[in-house]
Amino acid sequence: MHHPANLSRHPSVYTSEMTQTEQKIIRKAAKGDRAAFRQLVLEHSHAMFRLAWRLSGDESIAEDIVQEAFIKAWRKIGEFRMDASFKSWLHRITVNTAMDYLRKHVRRKQFETAEPEWETNEHAAALPDTDTQIDISRQTQAAMMDLSEAERTALLLKHYEGHSIEEVAHIMEITTGACKQNIFRAVKKMRVALRPLVAT
Amino acid sequence: MRHITDEDLTLLYYGEHEDPALAVRVAESEELSARYDALCAELKLADAYQPPLRGDDYGAEVWQRISSRLGENDSRSTVRFSAWLASLVQPRFSLAGALSIALVAALAFMLGRNGGPDINNDPMAPKGVTTMAMVDIDSDRLLNRSVATHLEQVNIVLTQFVNTSETSTNETEHATDMLVANRLYRQAAEAQGNQKLAAFLADLEPLLIELAYQAQSGSAATRERMQQEIKDGLLFRVRVMNNQLNKPVISV
Repeated sequence: MHHPANLSRHPSVYTSEMTQTEQKIIRKAAKGDRAAFRQLVLEHSHAMFRLAWRLSGDESIAEDIVQEAFIKAWRKIGEFRMDASFKSWLHRITVNTAMDYLRKHVRRKQFETAEPEWETNEHAAALPDTDTQIDISRQTQAAMMDLSEAERTALLLKHYEGHSIEEVAHIMEITTGACKQNIFRAVKKMRVALRPLVAT
Repeated sequence: MRHITDEDLTLLYYGEHEDPALAVRVAESEELSARYDALCAELKLADAYQPPLRGDDYGAEVWQRISSRLGENDSRSTVRFSAWLASLVQPRFSLAGALSIALVAALAFMLGRNGGPDINNDPMAPKGVTTMAMVDIDSDRLLNRSVATHLEQVNIVLTQFVNTSETSTNETEHATDMLVANRLYRQAAEAQGNQKLAAFLADLEPLLIELAYQAQSGSAATRERMQQEIKDGLLFRVRVMNNQLNKPVISV
């Protein structure tokens, strides 16, 4: 059995605490230092792409979202409070940018018919090596896109990004109770969708 | 004893359940263990949903795309003035220009080698443009001139680097620009079959990578080592190659 006390899949790597160095860089960026902001871009681009891709299910859209989110972050960085988590703050901007983008530009149908991008992406490191894995990934993506926006966002931030429920609620600007309900509903739907694949 | 719901098990899975005794209770109960195992197995499958990885220089690519779109506001006027002042002594560089020239050079080479499309008979072709005019583009000369300009920028940045003890705020940014341009020119040189030039540009890449990613965060010892490496011959080679490329007839 997976021992429930062993929760090492969510280690302290997800801690929201900022180092003094990062705080210093953020302060400089808030004063308009482009080189400092560039360092933040270099540091957070990969994580923001992962989140944007999971929200959109599309590689090029995710890249657009990342760029737009950073531009918004640059404009708003003066409003960032040092007692908050910068990562959570960036994720909040990314989520809002993604939602705006998807509402404007993307039809849901695209997700349903989209092929998993690692089939054509030469940079993909973790290429599935069997048809079963391809099927699981495709099924997961389809199930993910069947969730409501709020359910999908809550689950992504919790399951893949490792934010605490409190942080997810803060990012989504909802109560922790509402956040939990979104996660519960999302998990329930995902389990139903993925259950047939467990035995394979 | 309270009934344990799937929501309880979900919170336990994510390490968010408030009752620390729940884990023990689940471990001791066969029925709860089975339910928890099922939840773990099903959620574990969701881990297969992994995004395509970006390259190591993805952050630099994002910066390249957004840096020109970052506006400045009045409250940052002091910084803006400083940036303007700094720009007076910084090398001028245009990545967009480098990209266009490299692409044109590669296109010119392809047209020259393959004869190009017969646009004279193409009703869609723009008036006044002939196949011969396209083929007449001297792709060698175009590439050499472009790389010479590129090397002049490299020369300026490397000279500044070896003569200063502290990293300037724009140093790594310029190095990133040059790295991207250097790769484009190397690929264009390879496409033209100019192996010597391609090899020279390939030799430059490791240093540009180090300048772009490590100079700012690296130690003083790292900076000294890089400075020595540049003084020991790389700077000289850049200047020699630049001179060769600027000669009227070039064969490298």
